[in-house]
Amino acid sequence: MNDLVSGIDIAFWALAAIAVLSGWRVFSTDSMVRASFLLLLSFMAVAGIMLLLAAPYIGVATIFMMAVEMMVMAVFMVMFMMNPAGLNPMSMVHQQPLAIGAGVVAFIGLSAAVLTSPLPDQPVAADHRAIHALGIEMLGDSMLIFESAGVALLSAMIGSVILSSRSGRFGPADPGSRPPGLCEGGLPAGSVPDENKNHGMGHGMQHDTPNAAPQDTHGAHGAQGS
Amino acid sequence: MNAATAVGATLLLMLGGAWLVAVFDRIAAALVARRPVGSLWLGPLQSGASLLVSRTNQTEHPDALNWALAPALYLVLAFVGVALVPFSTSGALVDIPAGIVLWGAVESLTVVAVFLHGWSANALFPLLGAYRYVAVGLPIMLVSMFVLIAAALPAQSLALGAIVQSQAGLWNVVRQPLGLPLFLLLGLSLTLRGPFNYADSADLAGGTDAERSGPPRAVWQWARLSMAVSFSAMAATVFLGGPLGPAWGTAELGPLWLTLKTAVVLALLVAASHLLARMPPSRMLTLLWTVLLPLSFVGLVAAGIEAAP
Amino acid sequence: MTLQALLIVASALIGLGLYGVLSQQSFVMLMMGFELILNGVLLMTMAFWSFGSAGAPKGQLLAILVMAVMALEMAIGFALVTAVYRQRQADTTEALDTLKH
Repeated sequence: MNDLVSGIDIAFWALAAIAVLSGWRVFSTDSMVRASFLLLLSFMAVAGIMLLLAAPYIGVATIFMMAVEMMVMAVFMVMFMMNPAGLNPMSMVHQQPLAIGAGVVAFIGLSAAVLTSPLPDQPVAADHRAIHALGIEMLGDSMLIFESAGVALLSAMIGSVILSSRSGRFGPADPGSRPPGLCEGGLPAGSVPDENKNHGMGHGMQHDTPNAAPQDTHGAHGAQGS
Repeated sequence: MNAATAVGATLLLMLGGAWLVAVFDRIAAALVARRPVGSLWLGPLQSGASLLVSRTNQTEHPDALNWALAPALYLVLAFVGVALVPFSTSGALVDIPAGIVLWGAVESLTVVAVFLHGWSANALFPLLGAYRYVAVGLPIMLVSMFVLIAAALPAQSLALGAIVQSQAGLWNVVRQPLGLPLFLLLGLSLTLRGPFNYADSADLAGGTDAERSGPPRAVWQWARLSMAVSFSAMAATVFLGGPLGPAWGTAELGPLWLTLKTAVVLALLVAASHLLARMPPSRMLTLLWTVLLPLSFVGLVAAGIEAAP
Repeated sequence: MTLQALLIVASALIGLGLYGVLSQQSFVMLMMGFELILNGVLLMTMAFWSFGSAGAPKGQLLAILVMAVMALEMAIGFALVTAVYRQRQADTTEALDTLKH
């Protein structure tokens, strides 16, 4: 019996160390894709701890969801970060002392609250059917909460598609989404999307924007001499 | 059966199954091309051995750690998949109450492994293969989760043992006809085969595996074959009744039935990979999101209505 | 594995996430900090469920809601990042300075 308890303890401390270390390495690694997958490793360690806590569904569902999320995060890293592979290491931090101070204060404050407050002590039974209880609860007493979460997810899906659609709210998003010119005021790198192709999406609206004219931030396209 | 026997049986199923998939591949390719098949049984071993002795390629500034870890992750995921499958009515190697969800985690981590394999090479065609695969591999996972939840409904449990027990009267392939065909499409995606082979496709000169040669390439190809075995064992369990058979009262025959059904699904998988048409990624995405996902949802609703008390 | 040890580990994750949120210039890294904070919150929820509530199912429901919040925040966050990049070509927080005095 003592062996079994200490086995769980060893597993817990190992997983906790992995979670915290990989969480720290997320912000100190050069390669951005590695950062997102290090965060995935942190989530997987936490999911392992949850499996030790006798919550199998939540643990495995965390791994499932976080793998997909971190995959999408890696794709966004490559989209928006300057050197996603870390081949030119650069430090992109600001207000570092304040941030470190805030993190340390948060950790110390929360730990102090944990250590000084009386914590409850009603452990879950070892043979508790957690998934069954969760299912009965989710689709029984807490159906309203569950359905509200579903509606919130649906509205987030619709909202994110609208926010990032190509035919934006204030005009087409093409001028803003083109990369800057290769030289000052020159042609943008990459291909210029065709303004009138797939436009209107069946509404038949014709936009009056002049053909392929980027905004002023890129300089007047073609207006300067060569 | 104790843990050691279970581990041994799992490894044996994986190794033997991987060899069988390679043999089926050769037969299918020979049938499609209408030429006699070469060395059928020794051919896969010979090509694997020739890869093992060739030189490993290098690219400029690869992500060496992830390039080495990706095939290992792929192999481990295949092993986890086979470990989940109940060999007999007495249980599986990994017997958790949320077996279906752990298989879902295996699917999503497979996408991560393939992306890492393509990303780490720091070369153009592998990266293209990885990106195309992510675009198609993530939605097909949704289709598979709906199909698996539909299979879990009659069992009233997420555990694979209970799903096997619920098929004692009627196999899920008959009760939910949309299930196995949609699940086979997921299998094509997990093993990078057929119309879902966007990661290692020939039009990308080998895709994520384009810059790889030598032992790491052998490990990657072996991992693809092992994942085929893992997927087929899972499909046999969820749709074909797993270890159940006419004489299922004797627990000893359970592994035999499971192996036979896995071989059947493997043959189906290889046939589908050689016979189904390929399409460009954009068209496949349209098909996924507008046809396959609603179909799987219809199947889920039908299963729910049928399983309602 | 006591409740206190679990909560202290979760506090460490929250502290790390807060450091990430405050120190990173890039939007995507900032969102990684948010995810770490929610990771800590998820661990705290499950710790309290396992040690303090004798397995009341609402604890697991709260964990599922935390996961839903993670998904929501990431979806809307990335949509906003895309929208702000298209409008102002800004991919770091330093580039959005129109409200700065």
